[in-house]
Amino acid sequence: MSAALLLGGLGLGASGSLAGAVLPARSRGPAAAVLTAGACMAAFAAAVRVLASGGTVTVRSAQILPLTGVTLSLDPLGAVFVITAAVVGAAAGCYAAGYAARGGGSRTATALLPLFITSLLLVPTAASIATFMAAWELMALTSLLLLLTGHRRREARDAAQWYAVMTHAGAAAILLAFVLIGAHAGGESFAAIEAHAAGVPPAVRSLAFVLALAGFGSKAGMVPLHVWLPRAHPEAPSPVSALMSGAMVNLGVYGIVRTGDGLLRGGELWWWLAVAGLGVASALFGGIHAAASADLKRLLAYSTVDNMGLVLIGAGAAGALAVTGHRELAALAMIAALFQLVSHSAFKGCLFLAAGSVQRAAGTRDLDSLGGLLRRLPVTATLFGIGALSICALPPFSGFAGEWLLLQGFLRGFSAHGAATATALLAGVAALALTGGLTVAAFVKAFGIGFLGQPRTPGAAAAGETGPAMVAGTALLAVPCLVLGVIPGAVVPLLARAAGTALGGTPPEPLRAGAGLAITGSADVIQPALLAAVLLGGLVLAWGLVRLRAGTAARRGYRARRADAWGCGRELQTARMQYTATSFAEPLQRVFDDVLRPDRDLDVSHLAESRYFEQAITYRSRIDDAVERGWYRPLTVLIQRWGEVARRAQNGSMHRYLGYGFAALIVLLVVLA
Amino acid sequence: MITFSIVQLLPLLRSLAARPVTERLPRPAGMPGKARFRGSVQLRHVDAGSCNGCELEIASAFGPVYDAERFGARLVASPRHADGVLVTGVVTRNMAVPLEKTLDAVPEPRVVVACGDCALGGGPFIGGYGVAGSASMIGEPDVAIPGCPPGPVAITQALRTLTGR
Repeated sequence: MSAALLLGGLGLGASGSLAGAVLPARSRGPAAAVLTAGACMAAFAAAVRVLASGGTVTVRSAQILPLTGVTLSLDPLGAVFVITAAVVGAAAGCYAAGYAARGGGSRTATALLPLFITSLLLVPTAASIATFMAAWELMALTSLLLLLTGHRRREARDAAQWYAVMTHAGAAAILLAFVLIGAHAGGESFAAIEAHAAGVPPAVRSLAFVLALAGFGSKAGMVPLHVWLPRAHPEAPSPVSALMSGAMVNLGVYGIVRTGDGLLRGGELWWWLAVAGLGVASALFGGIHAAASADLKRLLAYSTVDNMGLVLIGAGAAGALAVTGHRELAALAMIAALFQLVSHSAFKGCLFLAAGSVQRAAGTRDLDSLGGLLRRLPVTATLFGIGALSICALPPFSGFAGEWLLLQGFLRGFSAHGAATATALLAGVAALALTGGLTVAAFVKAFGIGFLGQPRTPGAAAAGETGPAMVAGTALLAVPCLVLGVIPGAVVPLLARAAGTALGGTPPEPLRAGAGLAITGSADVIQPALLAAVLLGGLVLAWGLVRLRAGTAARRGYRARRADAWGCGRELQTARMQYTATSFAEPLQRVFDDVLRPDRDLDVSHLAESRYFEQAITYRSRIDDAVERGWYRPLTVLIQRWGEVARRAQNGSMHRYLGYGFAALIVLLVVLA
Repeated sequence: MITFSIVQLLPLLRSLAARPVTERLPRPAGMPGKARFRGSVQLRHVDAGSCNGCELEIASAFGPVYDAERFGARLVASPRHADGVLVTGVVTRNMAVPLEKTLDAVPEPRVVVACGDCALGGGPFIGGYGVAGSASMIGEPDVAIPGCPPGPVAITQALRTLTGR
């Protein structure tokens, strides 16, 4: 039954892509959306059945790929990733139907989106090297082409170039890692590799893990391999951005966990300390850049780097604790990492879709040009607010439960002896605390500057609510933010099963079952449902008191009076004088000057008559990625120089090429003779 | 571990209900029986075109010698925090709109305190080319403090009629 659902889902996805390619313009959008939704529902149902039963569903076909055939296998770990991809995919598919209806959907985009979603469902079910690499490349290529649908803009072309290079270098590293372990284990299917992993020499295992970490880490936005992410995620069409940030980056983490814990059976302590260390770096780097960014989607992209960093710290801690033999603590850390990952998919998908609606409505995603959107896009603004509260880890939303679990996992890990592990966990706690604050700063800025106040440009003033399909797609992702936040206890047993599969064997349950979150063998319990009820009660009480006071004041003859915002009594007061995103971020930018290295430029020209009167003041500020500028620029310059040298040998002359061929032949004959 | 006995706490509790150790200042003559703001009044000072003589005297009234704050009067940084405005000087053309905007930004009920002869429509500058009028432009002052400049005692006494202390 689960196998049929899984195959049916993949088939529906492929037919959605076909429908998008061949149907006429009017009907292809809705048809593709309906088929995509069907694909996602079928895959969701299959994955939920697998998670609930704890079994594994395997499908083999010898015909589809030559030599090796296709092996699909859905186990509880993969099921978690299929479920998140299915939910984000259904929301993005629905959103894309509305996005395309207003002139945003070419035939290419409508056909590729269902294929991209299908590949996202396929990667976590692939169970052999050939199948996995095929699905992985399908995912990379479809997302690259979807990014290129905006090829008329220079930024999109640049982003696509970065993305293409990074994703293919990553895929090469992953392939090399798989080939290395596959050759030593003597098998191509994941099951065969797992069975023979113990026989692989340690040096080969370590090399394979480092290669896999580089390849998958780049997909997960791990610093310093993240540089494509803050370029590609903002430039992609919004449903694709949501899929990239909500589902695709997850698969990087999936790859690391599957390779390290699954295929290589845990491995060595330093692997996992490296994962956790890179996670700390990603969390801090992403958090600082998100707090400093004034571009709404770039802010969200850096926040993805930040959140994936937190997930990687959790996965690294789980690996390290499992290697040192603390299975219960490892399971707790892994559950926390998976919970944070699932909750990140929901809120980041919701935020990206809402940001896309803002961009569509106001014509820009520059926070300094927005403002006053809460009145103009009330539903989208509310949904963005839910996502923002969730990412800030405030209670009744999912981020709170996720970060609580991560903190519990890190703090409890101290009881595991070992200075290296304890240091890594301590760094994890510190990173979680600092990025928590930075995230609040970033999202107070995003919501406060973008949605409150007065519109700063005519575009923002003329913005109106987007269509029902876009709103419904965004709302679909706001629901899990609330559900996971209020009753996290309902999904924790399922995640525990996935964590058990990831870490091998059946570890003891680190969390007690129930609606709240309770750690086994400890008195620490939180009841998020109770917390939500108290918060709601408090809000209702406060609202009632305000109404009561307003009524009393009205009876005494006072009435509310609307007055201009206080601007120090200036005669000319415009919306441009409001607090901007850049000015809000300025103090933080100063604090983190050494990380951000902003480019500031102030030009003041004076009147000819007197130096005391300014004629014009121009201020430019630009924050480039310091990693990109410091590490990647020299590399691209080097490659370019090398290319120019190579060009001298390749001058286009047919005679010269014939000469090369002849010389090569002579050399070959001399060598062979 | 520090332990308290109830006997030790008694003087503390008694002091909470005791009368103040200082004597009450005599009420100035002409002070109304019931003040408009009981005990405390926050004022936003607007210099609408003063020669800064009144400012010196206001600074002195709020300084350590006269200390108007002990009677509950305070100068605040924003009209949004204020119960009224304290206007000094004639109203120059450049300050007419800011003065109106400042008064508009003060929540009601609010007071206008005009400090000095210029604010009351007199003084040496009235009729000058840059002068638009006096503080009466924004309504009849609730409290008038005549003098050029009025001394700190006069200012403090006038503010006490508002605070009632």
